[in-house]
Amino acid sequence: MSEATRTRPATTAAAESPWLVMAEQELRDLWLSGRGLAVMLAHTTLLSITTYLIATNQELNFLEQREAVALTVQVTVAVGGLLVVLVAADAVSGERERGTLETLLLTPVPRRSLLIGKGVAAMSLWFGAFLLALPYLWWIGRDVGTFGSAAAGTFLAGTLLALFLTGVGLLVTTFSQSNGLSLALSFFLLLGLYAPHQLPAEASRGWAGETLLKLDPFTSALLYLERLVINAHTLTQDLPLLVVPALAAAGILTLALALAGRLSLLPRSG
Amino acid sequence: MDVITGGTGQVAGGTRPQTGPALETHGLTRSYGARVAVDSVELLVERGVVLGLLGPNGAGKTTLIRMLSTVLRCDAGSFRVAGVAHTDPVRIRRAVGVLPESAGYPRGQTCEEWLTLHARLFGVRRRDARALAARLLGEVGLEDRRRSLIAGLSRGMRQRLGIARALVNDPEVVFLDEPTLGLDPFGQRQVLDLVTRIAREHGVTVVLSTHVLDEVEQICDRVVILNRGRVVADGTMAEVVRRAAAPREGRLEVPADHRARALDTLAAHHVPAEPGANGHLGMVRLELPGDVAPEDSSAAALRCLLDAGVPVLGFSVEGGRLSDAFLRVTRGDGDE
Repeated sequence: MSEATRTRPATTAAAESPWLVMAEQELRDLWLSGRGLAVMLAHTTLLSITTYLIATNQELNFLEQREAVALTVQVTVAVGGLLVVLVAADAVSGERERGTLETLLLTPVPRRSLLIGKGVAAMSLWFGAFLLALPYLWWIGRDVGTFGSAAAGTFLAGTLLALFLTGVGLLVTTFSQSNGLSLALSFFLLLGLYAPHQLPAEASRGWAGETLLKLDPFTSALLYLERLVINAHTLTQDLPLLVVPALAAAGILTLALALAGRLSLLPRSG
Repeated sequence: MDVITGGTGQVAGGTRPQTGPALETHGLTRSYGARVAVDSVELLVERGVVLGLLGPNGAGKTTLIRMLSTVLRCDAGSFRVAGVAHTDPVRIRRAVGVLPESAGYPRGQTCEEWLTLHARLFGVRRRDARALAARLLGEVGLEDRRRSLIAGLSRGMRQRLGIARALVNDPEVVFLDEPTLGLDPFGQRQVLDLVTRIAREHGVTVVLSTHVLDEVEQICDRVVILNRGRVVADGTMAEVVRRAAAPREGRLEVPADHRARALDTLAAHHVPAEPGANGHLGMVRLELPGDVAPEDSSAAALRCLLDAGVPVLGFSVEGGRLSDAFLRVTRGDGDE
């Protein structure tokens, strides 16, 4: 063996951030393996069916055009959120079950960087879902001029929700005993967060009902989008409604990253 | 505590500092609930050694390796790997390479992609990482599989790929946890040859955990046997066999009409003996003490027979192998 192979490989502390290296690989795994593209295809199919129904179905056809745009926005946010939370929930527990976590933990990369890299990949699904929704938003709202505000509002509110759900998924996956548990728990948490938005109107009346709705990041964000699209509010008019999603996203991501040091091969032992 | 010193794999030059032992543990302990997996382990392993880490299933080998590679925390005790204290896990990870037991592989990545990723995670620049990956694939005989998906590799190839990954950071200590598990004899041979070559050419300390005692006898300088989380044997192969005092079996052949006299003579000299099986009337089996060199105990037994005028037609000694010592010190313990 030559001397070159015996000396340490050229390393550099500043050239590449480990989270960027991790994120790049995760993005490649997600998008080039076809997984990301497959779910985007499913998302497109869903949006196409929704749009088709809005255009042809008699009941849905009675929707105001703004309401139709709002429905598409809701579908985009819900599907994007679902994809994000499922990918984030698989991030650690999936690697653990596939036996690939140990080799990652054997690198000198901080656990936090591993989680950030995986979180970036999960977030990319939201951005993909959002980009795919743009032509539909434009087509459905072409006569009422809502495209610009709907797109900007969806991006803003949806990104906050996606960040929040990434944090939820990463937190759950870090400490889950199994990948199935992690995915199930994250999915039901998502449903639980979405539930208040589906409550009947009577339930949201009164001080308690309004408080509940405003404290739920999903409901707040969707309320913001409804007012933006249906009531033609400006982007900044209802910004206080995004305070809860923003705080929730910041809080859960901070918590997930703060607890990243406890990420271990065996979830309850370290 | 025994000091295990270098054998075949003396450190070969290089730019890294070479001070202190490769491994040093003091009272290293780890439990899973009420079960103590590793119990107050004391080890001192000098650099350049190929150390066989043996033990029955559940003896604590994998837990010990995971602690030493900082993947698991210890409950008590301390250790140093390549001179780095356990309180600095990041530096330890930079100094060790590990092939984990039953390691998983990302099936959708190519061999080159996976090695490049790991090299980059160790801080190697992208271009250098790719070159390093190519070189390591060549070293483990997978140069023609650079662009192959890992999913398409055989188990033996994956193990060799895993060994290549364990070398991406040019480690000072390499832990190989059951590297030949599930491989056919040809695959086992390839992996063992590779381990031997790595130890020789990279000049690293290798800790080889295995159940296959033949492997240890072939390539290891020293051996540590764990049982129920404790070190029950530690030293060179000869030392371990001698300390285990595993009795050897002597096979004596005498004329059939002299067998009874031979048995009486051996009994008179306190050498346990019994008639041999298989209907051979001239065979005698005798038990030789394990804590005495076999040539000495055999000579003593033969001398008393010859002095008594018993003709000896043949004599052979069996046992005294690592497997005998292993069974002796572990008493067949294990979780299976």
